[in-house]
Amino acid sequence: MRLKVLSAEAWRSLAANASTTLAATMTVLIGMFLLGLSIGLGTWVLSWSNHVKKELVVHVYFCTELKCGKDATKVQEERVGNYLGNLPEVRTLNFVSKAEALRIMQRKNPELTNGLTSNPLPDSWEVIPKRGEDVERIAASVPTGPASGVEKVNYGKKTAKRILRVARVIEIMFLLAVVVLLAASALLIANTIRLSIFSRRREIEVMKLVGATNWFVRGPFMLEGLICGLAGSLLAVVLLVLGKEIALPAILGHIDDSSDAHALGFIWNALILLGFGLLLGAMGSGVTIRRFLRV
Amino acid sequence: MQDLDVTPTETPLDTLTTNGVEPGVSVPHAGAMIVFEGVTKVYEPDVTALQSVSFLIEKGEFVFIVGASGSGKSTLIRLLLKELEPTDGKIIVGGRDLTRLKRGKVPMLRRNIGCVFQDFKLLSDRTAFENVAYALRVQGEGRNAIRRKVPEVLALVGLADKMSSYPDQLSGGEQQRVSIARAVVNHPPLLVCDEPTGNLDPDTSVGIMQLLYRINRSGTTILMVTHDREMVDKMRRRVIALELGRLARDERRGGYESE
Repeated sequence: MRLKVLSAEAWRSLAANASTTLAATMTVLIGMFLLGLSIGLGTWVLSWSNHVKKELVVHVYFCTELKCGKDATKVQEERVGNYLGNLPEVRTLNFVSKAEALRIMQRKNPELTNGLTSNPLPDSWEVIPKRGEDVERIAASVPTGPASGVEKVNYGKKTAKRILRVARVIEIMFLLAVVVLLAASALLIANTIRLSIFSRRREIEVMKLVGATNWFVRGPFMLEGLICGLAGSLLAVVLLVLGKEIALPAILGHIDDSSDAHALGFIWNALILLGFGLLLGAMGSGVTIRRFLRV
Repeated sequence: MQDLDVTPTETPLDTLTTNGVEPGVSVPHAGAMIVFEGVTKVYEPDVTALQSVSFLIEKGEFVFIVGASGSGKSTLIRLLLKELEPTDGKIIVGGRDLTRLKRGKVPMLRRNIGCVFQDFKLLSDRTAFENVAYALRVQGEGRNAIRRKVPEVLALVGLADKMSSYPDQLSGGEQQRVSIARAVVNHPPLLVCDEPTGNLDPDTSVGIMQLLYRINRSGTTILMVTHDREMVDKMRRRVIALELGRLARDERRGGYESE
């Protein structure tokens, strides 16, 4: 019974205040569409920057006769390998023998290896860290010199630094964008709701005077907010689906999808939007109405 | 419109003293509907709206509150409805001490006080029927009770044929009748009217007063703030006059001005 009265009251005021209902729904729609867009783009860029960071590798090259006067021994190589394998920052460790290195070289730049009489390439460890940011630390911790048999440690210093810096900027920008958008859409929605409640403050006054409890007044308003929030965010999701299915392939048609950079799953994105839409709608009206209930 | 019945009925209540209760002294007010004990209301920062006002209104009385604008009449009404808290003093309505009443209980208080205002305060997007029904719905009354009680009370105020009209399709007098119907549909023991005839022409006002008089005779206490000199002089009921926030006069069968 109580529920029936509540929904009947909410429905009648939604219908009676069609323009403010529309305004609130549109505000939620715009806010949630932008938020969805930035979540989609942002998570894709984040995942891309992670993907790039994963390409950061540390190479530990061992001595060869050419470079240090004598080859590093198997024992030395294994000792360094054990050391690297025990580091917590390291994800995978590959041994690249000089024969393998030559094969890779031949595949990549055949003309360079054509005239070789012997294999000048060293044995090496290829170290992939768990986090791209750790390459420098790992590299610095490996001792070089005749004692360890390590000729040099290489981690593409300049490139690594640049990639890390760019990735960092992207992360901050994404976070900022999401925070700003959330705040902006919350304010926008609160403002719209306040306008709609303000235009009905007389009604609220009357309700209170005939002895309506605060919840009796608030209930229908919150339900209205909920409905606006739901409708707005559903529409936003529909628009995003359209954008994803129609606009995106047209723009990014020739970017191959094989890289492991992916946006946050669309379902998750949609759920986040719906959740925020509902919350903003209901909380927005619930909080805003407080001021007008003090009669 | 027939002449207003202005002969006050003698009631035993009239023999009781109603001329103020000494502030601070707690008397058991068994039959009292409203008790004001030394009530003072100061609006921040230093506007004194009411200055230690005391009076007692018995159950079933019909009381006019008169006074110039700014004399504290509206403040008095708002204190009764607990829209405002008194700065000092004690207000008892229907045996309940308002200063001790918790905020959560205020809706219950208001369900026991019918309110009629100069500007009717009707919801413009609802029919006469719906406006009256709202007061019942607020209390969780069922659909059947609403279907039974609303036409009954609208017939009582003479609007049986205007139930599905919206406020802007009704005349001022008719709107005020709707608002009176809304105020009494719960059978509250107390009806508070804030210049109910302030916006109405004299003929219509007489009709409204007759209606209020009838409601009063059925046992409802009525407290009416008014500027309608003629009406007060004609009815010869109890008059409480306020002047600059002080109780200036409390006469059992007073006129608008002291004689």
